[in-house]
Amino acid sequence: MTQRPDQTKESRETVFIVDDDAAICEGLCNLLESVGVRASHYPSAEAFLDHVTSESAGCLVLDVRLPGMTGVEFQEKLHHIGIRLPIVFMTAHGDIPMVRKVMKAGAVEFLTKPFQKEELLQAVEQAFAIDRTQRAEQNLQGAIRARIDSLTERERAVMALVTTGLLNKQIAAELNLSEITVKLHRRHVMEKMQAGSLADLVKMCERVKRQA
Amino acid sequence: MPPFRRAPFITPLMLRPRPGGKCPASRWRCARCHGWQFMIREATGRLFRWTMEYCAVPCAIASFFVVVALLWTFLLQHIIAYPFVFLFFGAVMGSAWFGGVISGMMAVSMSSVLIAFFFIPPLYSISVAKESQSFLAAFILCAFAISIVSSAKKRSENAIREARDELEAKVQERTAELRRSNQEILESERQLRILTEAIPQQIWRANAEGQVEYCNQHLRDYIGMSAEELRGDAFLRVLHPEDEVLFRMGWRRALAAGSRFEMEVRVRGVGDVYRWFLVRSIPQQAEDGRIVRWYGIHIDIEEQHRTQQSLALAQEDLARLSRTLSMAEMAASIAHELNQPLTAVMTHAYACREWLNARPANLEKASATTEKIVLESARASAVVARVRALFRKEVQSTELTDVNHLIQDLARLLRDEAIRRNISIRLDLEEGLPRLEIDPVQIQQVLLNLAVNGMDAMMQCMEARDLIVRSQPYGESEVLISVEDHGPGIAPEIAARIFEPFFSTKPQGTGMGLAICRSIVEAHDGRLWVVNAEHGGAIFQFNVRTQA
Repeated sequence: MTQRPDQTKESRETVFIVDDDAAICEGLCNLLESVGVRASHYPSAEAFLDHVTSESAGCLVLDVRLPGMTGVEFQEKLHHIGIRLPIVFMTAHGDIPMVRKVMKAGAVEFLTKPFQKEELLQAVEQAFAIDRTQRAEQNLQGAIRARIDSLTERERAVMALVTTGLLNKQIAAELNLSEITVKLHRRHVMEKMQAGSLADLVKMCERVKRQA
Repeated sequence: MPPFRRAPFITPLMLRPRPGGKCPASRWRCARCHGWQFMIREATGRLFRWTMEYCAVPCAIASFFVVVALLWTFLLQHIIAYPFVFLFFGAVMGSAWFGGVISGMMAVSMSSVLIAFFFIPPLYSISVAKESQSFLAAFILCAFAISIVSSAKKRSENAIREARDELEAKVQERTAELRRSNQEILESERQLRILTEAIPQQIWRANAEGQVEYCNQHLRDYIGMSAEELRGDAFLRVLHPEDEVLFRMGWRRALAAGSRFEMEVRVRGVGDVYRWFLVRSIPQQAEDGRIVRWYGIHIDIEEQHRTQQSLALAQEDLARLSRTLSMAEMAASIAHELNQPLTAVMTHAYACREWLNARPANLEKASATTEKIVLESARASAVVARVRALFRKEVQSTELTDVNHLIQDLARLLRDEAIRRNISIRLDLEEGLPRLEIDPVQIQQVLLNLAVNGMDAMMQCMEARDLIVRSQPYGESEVLISVEDHGPGIAPEIAARIFEPFFSTKPQGTGMGLAICRSIVEAHDGRLWVVNAEHGGAIFQFNVRTQA
């Protein structure tokens, strides 16, 4: 038996299938359901876009040839509107240039119809894993941002200078404050940011900065 | 005082003005213009000439003859009794002959007087005895007659001579003219010949039967034969053997019909190299429409031919490429069509297994899934049926067709291609085959496909490069058409698959040609199969039913 994606931990994860061929959609849904993965299918890219939210978790299984727009165009469009679901492409007639293009644009896997069950499930699991890390990262960043938002103006200025590695004395000179006041602000920052050490604080700031 | 003033019969002779005379007012020359001296000199000169002509000379001639006659008479009268008459007749005759009628008359009168004086009694007297008067009268009459006849004869003879002289002069004049025009003709012919020799084209002339009489230098140089060797129909022997038959036929037809003739043939030059020429021949007609001569010109079209061939080659490559491309596209679309239901079938089948493997087994789901599998399999098979229908050609429109005609058309169609590939197409057609109820376009397509396949097969073949197309009766109501090549033949392991779609032994083949051929033949209730020939080549043959 093949390993099954862990469904207990992330039960909200869904495989979104977009293919104009209803039979394929049904087949894929049936297969995924039989191994206990939630799946929903849409006949076109538009129908999917109506349904999807940024909260949706899981992955996307896309046919390269879609009515209205090609899978590659769809991929770009999703990226544009901020939906970062990992994408598994499938095609009945794949050619090398197309594979290269979609893989470059960040596709997880490229399946050639008809494909083996293992290929599909592996791809889905991989996509789920990517989605999970992406989502965890997003959550963490969200939390850090919330903490930063809770800081006062002065505290934020102090934090910015602290993370560049300046000493309290230097910060005080910079901000035209007394060293005691700087120390006070610094303690508040460490508390509000829930940072155990200066290194933690720097890491958090870096993470948010990279995202921005 | 000039005496001729009073002699009016001579005045016109003397005073008629000469051309260019100075006396414009009158037809006569006037003394005022020319002066008396001139007039007198002129008149005396004329009078002298007139006297000489009409008096002195005739008188002298007559006298001479008569005196001679008299002397001879004297001599002969001792031997012959009465010779005088005959001799005097001779004198009259001679005078009239040489001196004209005036001289004759003088001779008559002189002779009469002398005869009367010397020979008619009384002798030595001018008087004539009564009994002799009739004799003298008879003599005078006879002499007169003789004189007139003789002078007339002389005149007519003179006239004849003059006429003859005139004729001769004219003949000479004409001969000279003829010679001149002959020379002109010769000259122009020479110029024409120089021109034809100098033209950088090959030119010939043939008689009405088509036998070559003249070839210009260029043609002789190209073929490498002398003018004598080229006479007659030697030209046909330097044609390419494949073109010769067609050329002979066409040339014979043109000769019979008297129509212009034009054909592209390969002509062997020095060094056994063939070049393409456009041979054009024009008949020259006489006034009655009969053909007297043929003129021909050979235009070297080797370069054009090469260009055309490379163009055709490029076109063919292009066609093959586009054919391959479209086949690739079609194959992709067929693959897509088939893969969709297959994918569905596979995923459903996997799901079904999962449902059955679950603890407890979800039989409801499994059963629903198998339903789906059946449905999708049916869809896949429908796709296959559709593809098959795409390639099975239905017989569109049939008509009674002479299959030999089709084959001849094919040979014509492929002639250039065969020449380019150095392959000769031979036809072996049975005469009098019944006409077939077929779609000529489709059967032509089959023939073309088989022939091109055969030519492709002989691509690497070195020796005999013959493609033979045959038609023959087959059974009682069928015709068998076969296309035989001299290629490597069909290996037994692929012979079974050769008619399958997408099966090809050629690098650029689509694998559809023979499949389509077979479906066309089968649509005609026939059969297409292949056997290997004894010499190793392949024979593709198919039979078609004649009309029931």
